Amino acid sequence: MEKEQLSDYPAKTGWQKFVRIMKLTTFLIFVLTVNVSASLYSQNSKISVKIENGSLNEIFSLIEEQSEYRFFYQNEQIRDIGKKTVEVTDRNIQDLVADLLDNTGLSFRLVDRNIIIFPKDNQSSTAVTQQPRQITGQVTDQSGSPLPGVTVVLKGTTRGTITDSEGNYAIPNVAPDAVLVFSFVGMKPQEIPVSGKPAIYVTMAEEAIGVNEVVVVGYGTQAKKDIIGSVSVIDVDQIKSIPVTSGEQALQGQAAGVNVITSGVPGAESKVFIRGISSFGNTQPLVIVDGIQGSLADVNPNDIESVQVLKDAGAASIYGVRGSNGVIVVTTKKGKTGAPVFTYDGYFGMQAPPSGNVFNTMNTSEYASMAMDLHPGTLFANGIPDYLYGGYRNGVFVNGTAKEGDPAVDPALYKFDPNDPYADYLIQKVNKEGTDWFHEIFKDAPMHSHSFSASMGTEKANYAFSMNYQDQKGTLIESRLKRYSIRLNSGFNIGEHVRIGENLNVIYKENPNVSNQDQNSAIAMTYRSMPLIPVYDIMGNFGGTFASPPDLGFSNNPVAVMKNTNRNKSEHTNINGSIFMEIDFLRYFTARTRFGGAIGNSYYLNFSYNAYYDREAHYGDNSLREENSRYKSWTWTNTLEFENQFGKHHVKLLGGSEAISGQGRTLGGSAAGFLLTTPEYLTLSNGTKNIVNWSHGDKDNLYSLFARLDYAFDDQYLFGATVRRDGSSRFGADNRYGVFPSFSAGWRISKAAFLSQVEWIDDLKLRGSWGKLGSQNNVGLYNAYTLFNSAFSRSYYDINGDHNIVQGFYASSIGNTKTGWEEDIITNAGFDLSVLNSKFTLSAEWYKKSINGLLFPRPLPSTAGGASAPTVNIGDIQNTGVDFTANYRSGDFGKFRFNVGLNLTTYKNEVIDIPNPGYFYSGGTSIGAAVRNEEGHPISAFYGYQVEGLFRDAADMSDHAAQNGAAPGRFKYKDVVKDDKIDEADRTFIGDPNPDFTYGINLNASYDNFDLSVIFYGSQGNDIFNYTKYFTDFWDSPAGNKGRSLLNAWSEQNPGAKVPVAEAASSFSTSGVVNSYYVENGSFLKCKNLTVGYRFKPALLNRIGLDKMRLYVQVANLFTLTKYSGLDPELTPNQSGDQASAAFGIDYANYPTNQKSYLIGLNITF
Amino acid sequence: MKHKILILSALIIITAGLLFNACKESFLENNPIGPITSEVLANRNGVNGVLIGAYSLLDGLGGNVTEGFTRGISNWQYGEVASDNAHKGSTYSDQIEINPIENYSVLPTNGYMSGKWNCLYAGAQAANEVLRVLSKAEGEFSEEEANEIKAEAIFIRSVFLFEAAKMWRYVPYIDENVTVANDNFYVPNDQDILPLIEADLKWAVEHLNPVQGAIGRVNSWGAKALLGRVYLFELKFAEAKAILTDVIDNGVNSIGVKYDLVNFSDNFNPVKQNNAETVFAVQMSVNDGASGYNGNAADALNFPQGGPGGGCCGFFQPSFDLVNAYKTDPVTGLPLIDTYSDSDITSDQNVAPEQPFTPYTGTLDPRLDWTVGRRGIPLLDFGTNPGSWVRSKPDAGPFIAMKNLYWKVDEETMTETYSSWRPHGATSNNYNMIRFADVLLMAAEAEVEAGSLDKAQEYVNRVRARAANPGGFVRTYKDPANPTGGFTDTPAANYFIKLYPAGYFAARAKEGARELVRFERRLELALEGHRFFDLQRWDKLQPGYMSNALNTYIDRELESFDYQILEGASFTINKNEIYPIPQSEIDNSEYNGVVTLKQNANY
Repeated sequence: MEKEQLSDYPAKTGWQKFVRIMKLTTFLIFVLTVNVSASLYSQNSKISVKIENGSLNEIFSLIEEQSEYRFFYQNEQIRDIGKKTVEVTDRNIQDLVADLLDNTGLSFRLVDRNIIIFPKDNQSSTAVTQQPRQITGQVTDQSGSPLPGVTVVLKGTTRGTITDSEGNYAIPNVAPDAVLVFSFVGMKPQEIPVSGKPAIYVTMAEEAIGVNEVVVVGYGTQAKKDIIGSVSVIDVDQIKSIPVTSGEQALQGQAAGVNVITSGVPGAESKVFIRGISSFGNTQPLVIVDGIQGSLADVNPNDIESVQVLKDAGAASIYGVRGSNGVIVVTTKKGKTGAPVFTYDGYFGMQAPPSGNVFNTMNTSEYASMAMDLHPGTLFANGIPDYLYGGYRNGVFVNGTAKEGDPAVDPALYKFDPNDPYADYLIQKVNKEGTDWFHEIFKDAPMHSHSFSASMGTEKANYAFSMNYQDQKGTLIESRLKRYSIRLNSGFNIGEHVRIGENLNVIYKENPNVSNQDQNSAIAMTYRSMPLIPVYDIMGNFGGTFASPPDLGFSNNPVAVMKNTNRNKSEHTNINGSIFMEIDFLRYFTARTRFGGAIGNSYYLNFSYNAYYDREAHYGDNSLREENSRYKSWTWTNTLEFENQFGKHHVKLLGGSEAISGQGRTLGGSAAGFLLTTPEYLTLSNGTKNIVNWSHGDKDNLYSLFARLDYAFDDQYLFGATVRRDGSSRFGADNRYGVFPSFSAGWRISKAAFLSQVEWIDDLKLRGSWGKLGSQNNVGLYNAYTLFNSAFSRSYYDINGDHNIVQGFYASSIGNTKTGWEEDIITNAGFDLSVLNSKFTLSAEWYKKSINGLLFPRPLPSTAGGASAPTVNIGDIQNTGVDFTANYRSGDFGKFRFNVGLNLTTYKNEVIDIPNPGYFYSGGTSIGAAVRNEEGHPISAFYGYQVEGLFRDAADMSDHAAQNGAAPGRFKYKDVVKDDKIDEADRTFIGDPNPDFTYGINLNASYDNFDLSVIFYGSQGNDIFNYTKYFTDFWDSPAGNKGRSLLNAWSEQNPGAKVPVAEAASSFSTSGVVNSYYVENGSFLKCKNLTVGYRFKPALLNRIGLDKMRLYVQVANLFTLTKYSGLDPELTPNQSGDQASAAFGIDYANYPTNQKSYLIGLNITF
Repeated sequence: MKHKILILSALIIITAGLLFNACKESFLENNPIGPITSEVLANRNGVNGVLIGAYSLLDGLGGNVTEGFTRGISNWQYGEVASDNAHKGSTYSDQIEINPIENYSVLPTNGYMSGKWNCLYAGAQAANEVLRVLSKAEGEFSEEEANEIKAEAIFIRSVFLFEAAKMWRYVPYIDENVTVANDNFYVPNDQDILPLIEADLKWAVEHLNPVQGAIGRVNSWGAKALLGRVYLFELKFAEAKAILTDVIDNGVNSIGVKYDLVNFSDNFNPVKQNNAETVFAVQMSVNDGASGYNGNAADALNFPQGGPGGGCCGFFQPSFDLVNAYKTDPVTGLPLIDTYSDSDITSDQNVAPEQPFTPYTGTLDPRLDWTVGRRGIPLLDFGTNPGSWVRSKPDAGPFIAMKNLYWKVDEETMTETYSSWRPHGATSNNYNMIRFADVLLMAAEAEVEAGSLDKAQEYVNRVRARAANPGGFVRTYKDPANPTGGFTDTPAANYFIKLYPAGYFAARAKEGARELVRFERRLELALEGHRFFDLQRWDKLQPGYMSNALNTYIDRELESFDYQILEGASFTINKNEIYPIPQSEIDNSEYNGVVTLKQNANY
């Protein structure tokens, strides 16, 4: 309980000085619960107090702690009153206070739960109580500047006003027992009882997170102080300060236990892991937006009111089957009571790709000299040629190199026919300086965003409306995101006991897919393409490998690859929302119903030009693929809540049911052989070949019952229990229902007698929980059924031999009606500490997450047939770790203030049990699987041969175990099983991509009107399998450009080299197998964001009709500290489906996320 | 009052919501959209559809298998590249997992092993699926009809299981009772399953119709021919002789045409297939909405690079040894069984396309130029081979495999873009699993073992007579600039082939005659997926035969050119005659701590 005195309170009248303002967030709770609980604070409440020689101040504090009563007084008035010894049991509160004030010259009055103390001799108090009068005053911010535009209303009425440009207000005809409500966007609302005063001066504080804050948890709200589950409350202001394109990215580094791995691809989904990876498949947490399952990516960050992350069973079990990966609960803004408020938030920025020779690749002459040494052939037979040519001359395919003037490269011979490869004769001029492929496809790119919102509220109704337009071009050419969104939230109070409202969100976005983390993507081709290949040939068509000698390698022209995606479209429309109603009845009950729905539509168009610039051939046909999928879903949630206080027992009981239904349908087609490539012409009807169409649908229903009990004794002992029973259409009748209980308990030690006198501790709470969660993410919709399917390519057959196929069926899946829920058992224990007036807060938690009955496709031998195996409950993955959060908020040093937050999470991951043979491979590469998931080892552990060094000479080889392909300068592998030969048995675990810990550091400071914010995010102890080295560090890997590291390769003259000998043939002892040469330390620390802002003075703004204006500049990704040699150590996985999380930390060529961007932004309120 | 009514009605809604569905179980019943259950199929159309589905897997693709390079029915890697007939083609590092198949160092972890295994057992179970659905279709069929369908399914199952036995010898035998529901699918590979396949085929022979009305549907004669082949693998020559003689004398194809030899090249021409020589062919189709997956998808990369077949990707190139085998004696017109590899026929291995080149002028078996594309000779109607249609001669030699091609004039109708990226990569060129020439040569082997060498020679000569027909020779173009404009009467090369003179086989006794039959078989059926398994079969009769043949070949081929894949290669006796059981299958066969599958010897 924080007591705060109004320091600059003008001494206009005497008695107002008595009022002592408590921290107003308490009022907020009061307001939120007053409808239900106003009647609970009977003036006959009994109270027990025992104190020896306590000051009146201490006695009042004690009463406040044990009850819901709050004292309002001024220290001076009671300072001189002597200490008292009190020992009463079950005393009426009025009697007790009257006794305490006996002979003190003070009197009191009880208004609701507020006990207002005033001098007896001030008779005006009783007089004033009789008649209404005008109230005046001024509202200022914490720096003392007047706050214009603050809404002041009389609580319970629509009467009120707004402060003028000097922050002054006046309200006539105010009853002395009225309560004034002060509210302003971004400030904590305050309620102040008039208590007969003629003038009220208020200082408003910015909203901050405190122990008294109310947070939204599963199907309801809870005071933060009462939370005993593991809930991370995200600092929403911090999110808004980072101009990110998705809400997921904004979570990075913001909460302990929440790891976000983002990709640089504009609009790409980030991977969110809450407390580690607990499945080989989908581990994305459940996102609840305004009570309905939604997507964080589709929420305009400016619309977000609050974000909570529910991490343990105690908090998340109420979401049952969907809660296993954690739950992110997002609430969007509602209109606040007061006059209309309009805001504009916008920014404009430039993103810059990394500069320099990012993959450290060779230039033309470096490449040529190495190639001449190792692979003497046609390409450099006469030095670096001037031209490369290839194609058909007189019907014969020829290709080769040429010097200037060679008749073979006479431009008159040049011919390119997109539809007839046999006519092509292509000539390209060698780029002797070397093509900088990376920067041919990565360019500076702009991004901007504009949000406008309007909101207002009265006691009866409120609304909030917003629009957002976002446009981000990716630094990779042709990548982009455009998004338009509109949100409308409104609410209405019908009478005193019924509230209805709605949330509506409409989104449209354009976001073409970009191939990322793929060795054949354009990004990978930037280091695989030889530097002598020009971007364009002599006639302006794309340069490449086809038109030239075989030595040009297997790459694709990355510019061509990207530019040839220019017809592609990926457009998504989503309308979602809900309507709700709340009713208070029979004093203690609240019933709520919410019906939500979503309608979505996704449209894809993909046009493939016939590529003539790559290695394989000039493909004859271009092709078009078009697909449209629509889905609809609804959710109906009904709850009934009971809340009451019985003496010291506070009980809140919630029961509810929820039905969720989703349906989708996809329609698509493809065709090839288009005569024209103009966008208008590209409809499926114009295709001439390979005409295919398809459609498929799905359906998914869930019905659940749930209940929660929150119990508090004496505000000190807390207990919670939840249970949810889910029924899912994904499981067979045998195992359709799952029950997920949780229990949690907490002890607010700071309320215990032995700590109650320790003033510097505001709050200390021990808490623990245990419970079960479920997951059905990794089970197919029809897993219970044994099914047959039919498709031209899979089961039709030309049985008559007349080229007309006949329909057939094939067994597509084997069902299992016994498959049931995956259970995630989470144990959590921790404490929360808040000291020194909440200046310093600390929270630490230990957790253990264990998966019981992991859903995993049953590995069947082929003798079971080709139908896909059912998912069954086998396997166990376990995560243990610690989440740690600390915050320090400074006091004011003149005009300077700052706060620092640190969050850190550790986790240890172990695969406990998977089906025979106890391991499986994942993370495929051209040299085999890089990952083996095995019992007793972490998920996605790298597995291969351990490199001990390079063989020096024949003696070194003969001393070593027999190794296939051993030669000087090649890898020497460790003889792990010590049988004097190197074979598959010697493979071992060579790296672990799971970090020891990840952390975020947030710094905020302000001086006068300037503010500064810095966000760091780091990961420590994770390894990376840098697969890009396969192409850059070995001459014998697929031909293409190579890394400059090879210039320092092993040779007899360079025996100390780390890079193996450069040679033409691949071998087991060089690039042929997965080994530890590829494994690097992937730890990093990123400065994600640095923002400097300036708030204009209100006086200045008022002249132009604005209330607030802030201008800021920001640098994102200012620096990354890492030893990793690749582009960016933050790597998204490249697998999907039930293997989505089975392999990660492999660099297949990643669109970097750590690109610098520079922004200038503006926030305006008017 | 107004509010009270409102509250009351709202509470009723919420209460209804709370109770919603509590008694509505159907909300959670999720009938799949699209796929259907076996109950729906338990009728005449359904059973026949499942049977068609089983046929559709014969090519190596279908069902849940959508990639065919490792598992095509043509067996181009396992039957030909692994033998003395062909090389992988393309470049050294392209599809590098085939290299160890070619040079006898294949490991159990090789993806081609698991690919092939998966396909064969998926196929066998697809056939079993017919039997299972049939058993649910009570009353839909007469007993005779039911048995006929059952016999077709059993034939298909036998094809798959026989393929598996050829690849790995001891393999699991699975019938329709092996299912996940019965929990009995951990089947050991502890026996020779050829007798079981033999019994199945005998049952099929008894119940199949002799004429089916659909050329793709197996008839009793097709089953008899396959049974004959199984007998040969079992070394049951007397039984083989009996049944194959019956096929030769009395057999008709599935549409009732008496078996006979047709023009040699018609067997590999999509528009002339399904003829009198067709005993059992896996039907390929294109432009059927399947994106090329029904059209020889497993061989989609096996076309000359920069030449016919969409110009990609240069896999599957014949060996020098095979090409040399087509040399004939300039006097007798007979094959040079003992001396064919003394020297290489002229090739453009070291001649650039722009340099002049004269093809080999010595006498040749005319089947060479329908089997192998070589420089200077017309390649069907695609033009005279310019010597630039291989991907990399240093990597795999100068020759092109032809039997999987099609004719340029039929390109639009008989080919399709495979999987949207391989123009003309899919063709409707059927795979001739058994053609009549094959039956004749199998019968000849059986006759040799029975001691009836004259009869053997008669069969061989019947095959040679067809080859010797000048009407079937490759001829020069009327206009080389317009290769689709027709041919002259001038043979494209110096073809000279004669029949074995009377008593030739008998004069060389059983051992000599065997080699003559075997050599003829190589010439006639080269690149059709049989060679490796023929050697394996002969090795069973004469242990060491296969290692001797292939090790000789490795040495000899390396004399022809510096072939990287075969450098240092060696065929290990008692090991490389069969392939290693895929490691993934062994891993997956562990059940209750017992590993059900046993690896083959020496792997």
